Amino acid sequence: MRYMHPFCVRKCLVLGQYINSLYCYSFEEIGIIMTLMSIKNLTVENRLQSVDFDLQQGEVLGLIGPNGAGKSTLLSALAGLVSHSGEVELNDNNLNSISANKRARSIALQPQFVESAWALSVHDVVSLGRLPWGDCDQTIISAAMQQANVMELASRHVDELSGGEKARVWLARVMANQPEVLLADEPVANLDIHYQQDVMSLLKNYAQSGHAVIIAIHDLSLAAKYCDRLCLLDQGKMIKTGKVGDVLTEDILSSVFSTDVFINLQSEPPIVLAR
Amino acid sequence: MEKSLNPLLFLLLIIISWISLGSGSIDVNVFSGLLDWLQSADNKDALIVGEIRLPRTLLALVVGAAMGLSGAALQGLLRNPLVDPGLIGASQGAALGAASVFYFNLFSGLGALATPLAGLLGAAITLFILLGLSGSIARPSIIIMAGLALSMLTGALLAMVLNFAPNPYAMQELVFWLLGSVSNRGLDNLMVLLPAFLIGSLIIWGQRRLLMGLSLGDQVAESMGLQLARGSRFIILGTAMLVGSAVAVAGNIGFVGLLVPHILRPLVKYRPDRLLLPSALAGAAVVCTADILVRLLPPDRELKLGVLTALVGAPFFIWLVWKERQRWL
Repeated sequence: MRYMHPFCVRKCLVLGQYINSLYCYSFEEIGIIMTLMSIKNLTVENRLQSVDFDLQQGEVLGLIGPNGAGKSTLLSALAGLVSHSGEVELNDNNLNSISANKRARSIALQPQFVESAWALSVHDVVSLGRLPWGDCDQTIISAAMQQANVMELASRHVDELSGGEKARVWLARVMANQPEVLLADEPVANLDIHYQQDVMSLLKNYAQSGHAVIIAIHDLSLAAKYCDRLCLLDQGKMIKTGKVGDVLTEDILSSVFSTDVFINLQSEPPIVLAR
Repeated sequence: MEKSLNPLLFLLLIIISWISLGSGSIDVNVFSGLLDWLQSADNKDALIVGEIRLPRTLLALVVGAAMGLSGAALQGLLRNPLVDPGLIGASQGAALGAASVFYFNLFSGLGALATPLAGLLGAAITLFILLGLSGSIARPSIIIMAGLALSMLTGALLAMVLNFAPNPYAMQELVFWLLGSVSNRGLDNLMVLLPAFLIGSLIIWGQRRLLMGLSLGDQVAESMGLQLARGSRFIILGTAMLVGSAVAVAGNIGFVGLLVPHILRPLVKYRPDRLLLPSALAGAAVVCTADILVRLLPPDRELKLGVLTALVGAPFFIWLVWKERQRWL
């Protein structure tokens, strides 16, 4: 599948969705896995060493690891903010060979710290998501606001909102961009448990609507609950990538975080805490 | 309000320009004077309106537009409502260039155009040092520091020029020039100002999307595919051309670039890209109005335009600080 022309991939996608709707099976169940992005040997000088993984359509991939592990650097490199070596292919196009504008249409980044310099209205902030497209498509903007549940805030000034409301507005901005791959750097840091669930399920829904999401996250219990796969980084190196159960083991986490870890993935919700 | 802002300001500008053509110590018929002047007629009204008041009005409009636009662009780029276009050192550089003309008698072959051309040259030199100093990073803090350092250096050099002025008259002329004025300047000054104004404005206008994208910070702007480093340098280049040429022709006209964007911001819903055009229009209106007021004052000892804008602008700024403080109480 990886070496197909993008047009064919899209056709396949439509077919897949058709099959999906007929039999109510997921892509995985009928054995079709769509690779949206493949990363090979991605290296950022002094910060990240040869990271490899594939990103499938519909999945939420969680980047976990201690502070300074290189999670934000990886997201910045994918978003084109940091120069890197190695290969990143999106729909079989090498990222280095496409223009910054084209990349921005396909990959959108929600940085860890966002603050609006001006008292912009929520509607204008969300419209910013259309900047790479050079349009102001009101249907898409409204849909993104509806998805993020910020419709009723549309005319409010963004500096008057609470932290949780702001987090949803920033996400609506990224969603209005309609990227194939949405990158979110610690989207739930500093949020209360209600908004944490809110934001995570928003991102999950976005991924399941035919896109893919990569999030850097510190809360391992939330990561276990919402992510389909995890990629564990430490000191710029990829330690392990795989299913939640394969990565969140006491042995691996205890050695990477240098602390004893309690893990119960069978409970609902799953629990991963330092002892 | 937002949609009718530009047409309203434009209408206001036309009214103010008309009043400006009619204001002065001698009463003239503006319409017939302007018509006669266009047909190269040689009567009193035509001479006063066409040769004296028209250049003065046009200069005031362009200088004001340059200050308003550059203030809006620079505040948007640096994401700071307290940034004054003088901050990047271009106005001090222009003043130093112009002062050198008074002191060293440079470009004496150019006559009245020597001052504005030397001013433009001074602004250009300061700009290239600034761009070199801030490097390809072009982060706000670096730009502000580099601009401040250059302003200090050019300010010191300017003080030195004043210190060693060859005679009291040269010094007086220099000081009066620095205070800022659009009087006694012919249409040829506009030939220096206008190209720089148009090119600088177009450069800034081309970076509207960057200004809007920067509202949410460097990372968001860059992740949306905007060329941050290159765009920032373009905005600085455009601003320096506007400020440099305006100061080179008219001296220092303070506070317009700081206050006009600040006041208009709520009227355009705080959008930095939509602030550009209204700021240019309102800046032109403010400077032209101030110049009319200067002419209405007793003519024996002329109050300089730059002194008036500062005298009115500073208390207004104090009022803004007061209002801002009330918000936090």
